[in-house]
Amino acid sequence: MTTDDAPLSPEDQADALAAEYVLGVLPLSERLACEARMKTDAAFAARVADWEGRLAPLNDAYADMPAPDLLPKIEARLFPIAAKPPRRPLFGWLAGAVTAVVLVLTGMAVLVPPSAGTLVAVLGETDAALRFEARFDGQALTVIRVAGSAAPEGQVQEVWLIAPEAAPVSLGLLPGERLSVAYPEAPAGWTLAVSLEPAGGSPTGAPTGPVLAAGLITDL
Amino acid sequence: MTDDPVADLLSRVAAQDRAAFRTLYSQTSAKLMGVLIRILGTRPEAEEALQEVFTRVWLRAARFDATKGRGMTWLVAIARNHAIDRLRARPSDAARDDSEGVIDRIRDSAPTAETRMIAMGEAGRIADCFARLEPDRAAAVRGAYLDGLSYQDLADRHAVPLNTMRTWLRRGLLKLRECLDA
Repeated sequence: MTTDDAPLSPEDQADALAAEYVLGVLPLSERLACEARMKTDAAFAARVADWEGRLAPLNDAYADMPAPDLLPKIEARLFPIAAKPPRRPLFGWLAGAVTAVVLVLTGMAVLVPPSAGTLVAVLGETDAALRFEARFDGQALTVIRVAGSAAPEGQVQEVWLIAPEAAPVSLGLLPGERLSVAYPEAPAGWTLAVSLEPAGGSPTGAPTGPVLAAGLITDL
Repeated sequence: MTDDPVADLLSRVAAQDRAAFRTLYSQTSAKLMGVLIRILGTRPEAEEALQEVFTRVWLRAARFDATKGRGMTWLVAIARNHAIDRLRARPSDAARDDSEGVIDRIRDSAPTAETRMIAMGEAGRIADCFARLEPDRAAAVRGAYLDGLSYQDLADRHAVPLNTMRTWLRRGLLKLRECLDA
């Protein structure tokens, strides 16, 4: 085929890339690059949407398969029940207090993670190996690493809050699994991101390392 | 109300309607499970992925735009993207070790996809356009879309270098676009 030798026009290059993204043939690094581009390049995002529409008739070939009722698990993740201890008679209260004292004495209580509130963002949608969630309980925004591990020796994960069209603001470092920051609201439409920085955090006050995960805060 | 019941449910989900979310699950989880099992290959992984997919649906429902496409198309795109990301995040050699299984899936799926498409009247146009591609390119596009095959999988299957595969497939896709948009 001689036509295979002619180079593609820049337009066709972009369109072929959008099609490759929708097909799913690209390696993960190129998929991530496409997703980053979709966020800033509206024309490219529109190309991706067009390809999703073009190929959608193929979806008919996916046969229905019975799915178990996973709703309870999904809802438990999305809508945590407010932790309201039921009122107890004095005896129960005493028993509870004794248990609490025992837990504190044995150092167990600190191991129980505090409830962090409602899920407001999922970070790292494209990389199952490293994923974070953000939760908001009315007073604090908490970012929790739910998959993957901490940064390697000499580096640290840093959390950023990014208002639309604004520069990222550091919320702090994530040497452990969670970071809680007092915050009056979960600003919908703002982006949370985690970058890899040298130990001690970004030396410049702006992200310097690769972005490991990012997600949009959703108004719940 | 529109003629797209899934889109109607999505707009209610975007308004935080939990009852609509439950209805959406009951009406679309079987289709999305079909997508996830086909791409991921095992039920346990597909079930894990289904939870993630519906979590994203709740969080992203406000971004669905009914003027730009059908609700089910949007849901399938979320499920496919998540399943493919999971595949690509697997250590590549683990996926390759399973190449026998992949090839079995290809053998099973390639003809059925086409048969199904021909059987479905409304898919007539895309079947028509696929028929105009060289058969191996059409099979590559279908295999990638339906089974989540990577460029490496396709190159192995067709016994051509990866770059050749990429050139083939890109040309095939642009030809497909020309036909579908005509």
